[in-house]
Amino acid sequence: MIGQAGSVVLGAGLVAAVATTLLWSRVALLGVSARPARAATWTTLAMAAAACGVLEAALIGHDFSVRYVAENGGRDVPLYYTVTSLWAALDGSLLLWLLILAGCAVAMGGRRPGRAGPLRPYAMAVAGAATVFFFALTYFAANPFTAVSPVPADGPGPNPLLREHPAMGVHPPLLYAGYIGMVVPFAYGVAALLAGRTDRLSVALMRRWTLIAWALLTAGITMGAWWSYAVLGWGGYWAWDPVENASLLPWLTATALLHTLAARRRTGALHPWTVALACSSFLLVLIGTFLTRSGAVASVHAFTTSPLGPMLLGFVLASVAGVLGLLVWRSREPDSVPASPLLARESVMTGNAVLMVALAAIVLTGTLFPLLVQAVQGDAASVGPGYFNRSAVPVALVVLLLMGVAPLLRADRAADLRRLAMPAAAGLGAAAVVGLLSRPGVLPLTAFALGAYVLTGLLQAAVRQRRSLRRSGWLLAHAGIAVVAVGVAASSAYTVSTEQQLKVGETVTAGDVTARLVRVDRTAGRGDMSSRVHLELGGGADGRSEPALRYYPARDLTVSVPAIRSHISGDVYATVLAATPDGTAATVRLAVNPLVWLVWLGGALTALGATAAALRPPSRRRARIPAADAEAPVGAA
Amino acid sequence: MTLRRFLTLGLLVVLLGAAGTAVWRSAGPRPESAHSIAEQLLCPTCQGESVAQSQSPMAAAMRDTIDQQLAAGRTPEQVRRFFVDRYGPDVLAEPSYRGLGLLLWLLPGLTVALVAGLALRRRRRKPDGPSPAEAPAEAPPARRRPSRAWDAVAVAVIALVAAVAVASPHRASDTRPAPTADRNTSLQSLAQSLEDQGRYAEAAEVYRDVVTQRPDDRTRLKLAFALLRAERATEAAITAEQVLHDSPTSTDALLILGLAQRASGSPAATATLRRFLKAAPADPAAAEVRRLLAAP
Repeated sequence: MIGQAGSVVLGAGLVAAVATTLLWSRVALLGVSARPARAATWTTLAMAAAACGVLEAALIGHDFSVRYVAENGGRDVPLYYTVTSLWAALDGSLLLWLLILAGCAVAMGGRRPGRAGPLRPYAMAVAGAATVFFFALTYFAANPFTAVSPVPADGPGPNPLLREHPAMGVHPPLLYAGYIGMVVPFAYGVAALLAGRTDRLSVALMRRWTLIAWALLTAGITMGAWWSYAVLGWGGYWAWDPVENASLLPWLTATALLHTLAARRRTGALHPWTVALACSSFLLVLIGTFLTRSGAVASVHAFTTSPLGPMLLGFVLASVAGVLGLLVWRSREPDSVPASPLLARESVMTGNAVLMVALAAIVLTGTLFPLLVQAVQGDAASVGPGYFNRSAVPVALVVLLLMGVAPLLRADRAADLRRLAMPAAAGLGAAAVVGLLSRPGVLPLTAFALGAYVLTGLLQAAVRQRRSLRRSGWLLAHAGIAVVAVGVAASSAYTVSTEQQLKVGETVTAGDVTARLVRVDRTAGRGDMSSRVHLELGGGADGRSEPALRYYPARDLTVSVPAIRSHISGDVYATVLAATPDGTAATVRLAVNPLVWLVWLGGALTALGATAAALRPPSRRRARIPAADAEAPVGAA
Repeated sequence: MTLRRFLTLGLLVVLLGAAGTAVWRSAGPRPESAHSIAEQLLCPTCQGESVAQSQSPMAAAMRDTIDQQLAAGRTPEQVRRFFVDRYGPDVLAEPSYRGLGLLLWLLPGLTVALVAGLALRRRRRKPDGPSPAEAPAEAPPARRRPSRAWDAVAVAVIALVAAVAVASPHRASDTRPAPTADRNTSLQSLAQSLEDQGRYAEAAEVYRDVVTQRPDDRTRLKLAFALLRAERATEAAITAEQVLHDSPTSTDALLILGLAQRASGSPAATATLRRFLKAAPADPAAAEVRRLLAAP
């Protein structure tokens, strides 16, 4: 019964989304009132919310006749994880995706005058088309509401990895919001191509939305890294896994987009290259979704696979072809730009964008390579961290080098490189001190040096502009990136780990930390059986550490729950790999990971900086220029 | 050159020298540890996890092998060779950069060349037209009256979508939720096939490996049964007793315990088997047990 209601709501949402698209195109083409279109947008949102509500009701009410509940619900799952299991598998997360997408559309189409650029109706129609596609995908290919017969008495519950930590309630929605936010620059980019012009207000809107989506995506990726570290329990936070790469790709192109938009935000014109970047972030989100959710590539994080691959692939290919066609149609001979000096703001920011695209190309190639080999040679191939560390990391270091120049950039003249003396001294000093005291390897050492160099330059800039700090979200964002670089370098260079089979009373040592096995407790809960290992820490750390190994019979899956004791200098990270049934011995991995917290701190700073930049009121000088005066054709650089 | 600038330059040169020394110190080859070798190998039974990361018994066994081979004095290259010979070249996490692998460098390189070329071409151009601010803006679309034909088409599209949505079959799916693939499944089937071949001792070792990660009754009983058939009755009895301790109603555990006690000549065997008969008189093994008890 409840399943049918869900299907009806989804179908109604599909129809409402079609109506929204058509009504907004009517506004765009015929210039009529936007009121009915706005009503349709709200209706779409209501239907998406209702679909989520119905599925939540079915999950909470343990209605196992609904397929999604039969596959992901369970009577012994705590209420919190029952609620979050809406996004524990693909079909349910599509509903969350729809809800955020429809919410995004409502926010874009709002009535406040500051939001209504001349391009808005076109952009709304584009966003509407994307909504139609996702409703159709959910309704036809991944409907979570189909009935199950015979009705099972109980379900297996969500994937055990997704009910280990309360952050499950925050991390996926945050990441989805970041992904879906990219639909706004996409919509405005396509709108600019369709309409053949841009204006200052639309470009400002695009920039603000991109900043918001970018901040959410940054937070989502950071949280994903933390999740990987604290919950998945393999000891690291980034493995260049396809799912991780898929989240990084739109982040890289959105970063490039933000910089190209910032470089020329005063003209209100969009270069085709900027439009291409705006479109590519959302397209990469779609490609990433296809890659990781269709089962095309193997990943640790791919919790589900489903038959919607072909439909997604078709949509991705059609969108790419459409955008390329529009770009070719609208591209004209690039208009002249007064050639700016090599180290002026525009050239450096363009350089940054080129590097970001290079990083995206590397990550995309590495992610797609196994598919290519499979298609051409029929062999399995894998691209591990080795490739990315060899190719992407050096490029990222060059990005840091360029970032250090950012505080000195001027729009009209070359940066005064003499001001780099202090940052350069700090960087070289850091390299000298760290490199003479230890041997971290060339890449981490360079990262330490560049981190010190960037941070010193930012500090100088913050002191110089202390009166207008409110307008300097970018300082914070850049500082965050530098802090992440230092954290990554430190944790990859200085991590020590030991893996050993211990009998009760024996000791394992990693670095200056020792752990003695006190005992192994075996307990059987309602849905799981766990072996909790009690370790007594000594040496450089003290206290107890209690990692566990949890076995879930319903899913036939074993999860290792790490125990992390954090100190300012780093984490003592213990995991159980195996425990003998009689509780007399266990295989334990003990690791000391220095300065990992810098990675989380840096991610948070970056997201905070972008949020500050997005929320900043437009400067008075620019607000005075009426939007309509500033229209410029696409392709005018 | 002022004194200040001279001092700054001097300081930078000194620091550059120190940093150069530091980099040179760091640049030497780093010894390869067992962990770094494990990171370069992919666990064959997992989904995209390296041997260093994975918690599967297979990966644990491979880590042991790496430790043993390094301890026996083999070089890291020999260890990698060993695994490639055993599991094929795709056990290596890093692909070969020959043949198709060249694309891993060519494709990003070409993309960057293309993008940088476009950016540079734009920069080089001399101003020869009106500046963007003066470019004629296209007139916004004139307000036209909504055309009826347009509305009719729109309504038809909506009706079509609604019709397709209603007509699309939403049959009850009778597919049971598929059991999720497990890393231990392949080991279990390995143990099963060893048992089928009568190699009970080896099967027991594999089961023992699986049990360290999934201590459920079913696997432990399989372990006990394999031990029993491998004529290691004392160990079988211990394992069966552990299962009985956790789930006292398990008749299978009673049966295996009884048979193990009987095989090791323990006087408790008769009592245990009688308990089994009382608890499960209709068990397929009951007749055989009665025959055993009746025999002198």
